[in-house]
Formats: sequence, structure tokens, C-alpha cells
Amino acid sequence: MLEPGAEAPAIEGVEFSRPTLIAFFETDCPTCRLTLPYLNKLSDAVGDNANIVAVSQDSDCATEELAKSLPIEIPIHIDRGLIASRAYDPLAVPTLFLVDRGRRLVATSTAFDKAEFNRIARQLCEFSGADVVEPAGPHDGNPESKPGCTSRHLEAESDAAAPPTAVNVYSKRGERAGRVELSDSDDPYEYCYERGFGDPLPVVPPTVVRVERMLAATDLAPEEIIAHVPPSFGAATVEKIAANAVMAGCKPEMMRVLIPLVRAVCDERLDIHGVQGTTHFAAPLVIVNGPVREQLGFASGSNVFSNVARANSTLGRALQLMLRNLGGAKPGEIDMSTLGNAGKFSFVIAENEEVSPWEPLCENFGVDSSRSALTLYCCEPPRGVSEHKARSAEVLLRAFCPVLANLWSHRTCLKHEALVVIGPEHVATLKHNGFSKQNVIDYLYENTGIPLSEYDDDGEGTQLTDHYEQCVIRGVPCYRKFGSPESIRVVVAGGPAGKFSAVLGSWQPGKRGSQIVSYPIDSE
Amino acid sequence: MPTVLVNPLDERVHQDAKPAPRLDTLKGKSLALLDISKPGGSVFFDRLETLLKERYGVASILRIAKPTFAKPAPDDVLAKIRDAQVHAAIEALAD
Repeated sequence: MLEPGAEAPAIEGVEFSRPTLIAFFETDCPTCRLTLPYLNKLSDAVGDNANIVAVSQDSDCATEELAKSLPIEIPIHIDRGLIASRAYDPLAVPTLFLVDRGRRLVATSTAFDKAEFNRIARQLCEFSGADVVEPAGPHDGNPESKPGCTSRHLEAESDAAAPPTAVNVYSKRGERAGRVELSDSDDPYEYCYERGFGDPLPVVPPTVVRVERMLAATDLAPEEIIAHVPPSFGAATVEKIAANAVMAGCKPEMMRVLIPLVRAVCDERLDIHGVQGTTHFAAPLVIVNGPVREQLGFASGSNVFSNVARANSTLGRALQLMLRNLGGAKPGEIDMSTLGNAGKFSFVIAENEEVSPWEPLCENFGVDSSRSALTLYCCEPPRGVSEHKARSAEVLLRAFCPVLANLWSHRTCLKHEALVVIGPEHVATLKHNGFSKQNVIDYLYENTGIPLSEYDDDGEGTQLTDHYEQCVIRGVPCYRKFGSPESIRVVVAGGPAGKFSAVLGSWQPGKRGSQIVSYPIDSE
Repeated sequence: MPTVLVNPLDERVHQDAKPAPRLDTLKGKSLALLDISKPGGSVFFDRLETLLKERYGVASILRIAKPTFAKPAPDDVLAKIRDAQVHAAIEALAD
């Protein structure tokens, strides 16, 4: 690959009199599709003071199709015969080559990495005298980094210019939704049911008037694609989101929560693809933090997991309708969960920050506590923890440990995570004893284990004991349940009366499964 | 005034994919077995490999595994199967 310091080889139609950024891409490379829209943003920032050129390694037809669908708004050079590709010799695509006014190559970046991209963007701004921008911001639904694809000129000859077959999951402009005119004899509610518009409960018919009212609550264009919803990758345009939100019963002001929610649920780290296809109980739980709770009426108190507030119930239902209608995860088809989860009707809680002595959950995942935010965690239904007599934090927390020990399968250790939802009366006891959130987590981590005596047959988890960590809990030799304290998360929710809490076990967590994600919600 | 609804569904037309052509015989063929990395998979595939070779005369078997069952097979795993030029591939399950 061409190294910094070299003179930039010629590319037909490209003048090097201005600072120049050259981006090699392939039309069927998901990482290229992710990167190109950031180049549009960068081009807006530098204007005419710099060149930004996308170099396509594919055919005119495939390039034109991608340019239209993403869209690509910067000049495109189609590298027929891969002449420029051989001269610059990128190992993978996308690769960025930054060239100064003296036609000297000063920096390169291969594949996609937000920090790397922003570093190149800053340099280009500085070279061109433009205000410095960082187009690849956090919380935009794209991963922090993503590997690229082998450059076409390094592929076997037969693979060059292969037609794209994958769904273009990074296109940002979709079609307007179709209109359905009902006859006078059609009952709109029955029609929606028969057409499979919703879950088995009646939906609010998504009339044009209602959807337009919803669209009026956002500045985004109706055809803008917020994300493609796995596993079928249907396009969640703003209009489709609005239509599903209407069906779920959302008020128009919920649009500012729905947009980041769709980004978050399609964030690759959450792996909703796997969650929708598993036979496990898992469903995405939404946890809301910040001022939006009061502004839109999210419940965080009594009955928080049930049918207590329109905001909770309708937001969760809208999410589930989109997963089904756009993601294709219909029960009995792609969603073959053995027992399911009542949360697949709606699964939204808000944190009871007013009674919590601790930082809100979103702050543990990188969103400042002064902002509104939503956090997604894919999990099974709540398991109750009841403890009415404990007067100290330690005695109280002992009631949580056996419930935590039973997550997934009681003898399987190290592999799963837990969300502990602590009710206000239990919080009061912990607060009285001066327990911080970290103290709670550390206690639960240290005191949750499975006695070695349980491993007397060949049930699940017994084959892996070589990997487990032995410990002694209150004099009993045990295997430690959790891999680290970070496997346990704590949130405060529930009503003022009742010494109850809950534990929610994860699906497959971590980088090989579903990771928790938090997204900020914009202010009104 | 007729009621007009906004279609809330994914409106793409999905067409059923045709199954790949079937092999006339397994004898002398090369196969790939994709292990989705569920626990116990290797035990299942050891047995499957033995049966395919002994009972059906399969000439060779490429064993390949996804890094995790929780996610789709990454491109490099699929490319390895493609590049091996096997006669058929089986995406098998085990639990």
C-alpha cells in the first residue's frame, strides 16, 4: 500500500491543486456503505477548499445504484480496470488517502474507525482552512469500528466487479410508504388484523392523518432511513416508524424517543439479529432515564413492569411492532422462542431516579446523567426477590444471591449477566447502611456462587468446571457465578410500598452476543 | 371519505429462493459442515463425519465453525467454504 510521504499517483479527473481526500470503496462492502455518508458530511464542512473523491472499484451500474440509494453526494471516479487501485494499492476497502496541496500523501486509514476517520477529517479541515469538524459522532447507530473488505485488485480475478447481492443496510434514503384505500365495507381494525399489521391485540389504524400528525413532530424527512431492522433488514424510514407508532398508540411527541430507540435496537452491539432468532426468553428491555420521563409521562414507580403508563406501554409496543413488521421476526416464523416473553407486547421501564441515591443507569454506559437517555438490555422476564425482615444491607442482599445464582441454568457460571432492579424500600435499607451502587455490585459478585456439591452429575454447566473460579462463600466451597462485577448492573425502580426487587437474566452477553447500549434522547 | 392507511410493513417483495441442486450421490464427494458453535457441537459433528464417510462414502469433509452461534456467519467463514470448492455444505445444528 502507498505509504505517507509518497507522491499521489494520478487519477483521471482529479486535480491535486487543493488538499484532497481519496476514498476507495466497493459497492457491496458494508463498511464502505457505512463510511461514505460521513464523507458527504465532511464535504459539506470543507466546501470548495478541498477535493473529496470516492473511487469505486465496481461497475458503472452498481456504482450508480449505490450513489442513488445511499446517497453519495461527493464526486465519484469509477476505477475501470482498477488502474488507480493498483497504483494506490489499498489492502482493503474503504481506505482513505489524504493528500496535501503539494500532492504528497500525508495520512491513510483503512477500514472504518470513528476516531481514525475523525483524525483524517480534522487534518483535511486544517489543510483547507475550514472549521474543524468530526463527522463520525457517538450514538448515531453505527459501530465504533468495523473491518473492511479485501480490495478488488487483490481478489481472485473471477470475483472482480461481482454484482452486489446483499441488502444495502447503510442506505439512508428510502421510499415513501404505500397507501391502502379501504372500502366502506372494511372495518379498519379488522383490516389491520387480517393484513398482519400488528400483534394479536387491536391496533390504532395508521390513517394518513394520524401518521402525518406523528411526522409533524420531527424535522426528519419521511423517507429518511433511520436503520435497517434485522434479521430481514426492512428499512425503518421515519414514515414507517411513525405508522407503527400510531398503531401502538403513541402520541406524536414520542417521535423524539422512537428515533434514537430504532438506532439503538439496530446497533450491531445489541445483536437484535440473534435475539430475534433465539429459542430463549430474551426480549429487548428499554430503560428510560432523565427529564424525558416526566415530560412524556414514563412510569418509574408502582407497577413499573406492567400496564401502568401510556408512555411505557406504547413505546414498547411500537418497538415490538417494528421488530415484527420491518425486522420480520414474527412468532412461529423467525421468532421461535420456546416459551416467549410477555415483554414482547411491551417491555419499558423508567428508572426511579427520585428515590435512587446513585447515578442513573445511562451514566454507566457513557451518557451524561443530565441528559435523557434510553438503555437497551436483552433479557428474560423479571424474577422476583422478596425480603421483608432484613434490617441491614448484607442480610438484604443475601436474598438476591440465590436468585442470581439460578440465572440461565443454576450450574452454568461465568457466561451470563444480570440486571438487578431494586425497589425503593430495599434501596432505603441499602442507603441507610451507606452502600454505594458499586458496594451493592461487589457484594452480589462476591457472594453469589454454586456449591461444589451441586456438581454431582452431568447436567448443564458441569462440563465447564475447569474454567470456573473456586471460592468460599460463608464457609461453603463454591464456584463463582459471575465472571466479573461488571456482569451485574443495578437500576432503581418500583413503587414506595413493598419490599420487593427483581433480577433479569441476560441472553448471550458480551461481544459474542448482545451488549447493553445507551443512547441519548434529544431535548424537545 | 374513504379511509386511507399508511402501510406499516416492509413492502419489499420477497421471493422464495430455489433450493440448490441436489447431489446424485454422496460417494466420492467433498462436503463442508458448518458448526454454529453450540455446546456439544463437536461431539455431534464427529459422529456425523464418521457416518458420512463410512456409510455414504464421502471422500472428504471440511469442518468449519462460526465464532458464535449468536450472530450470523461472518464473511470470512462463508468465504472459506466457498473457496474450498466443496460439492455441498451443511449448516448443521447441535445443542
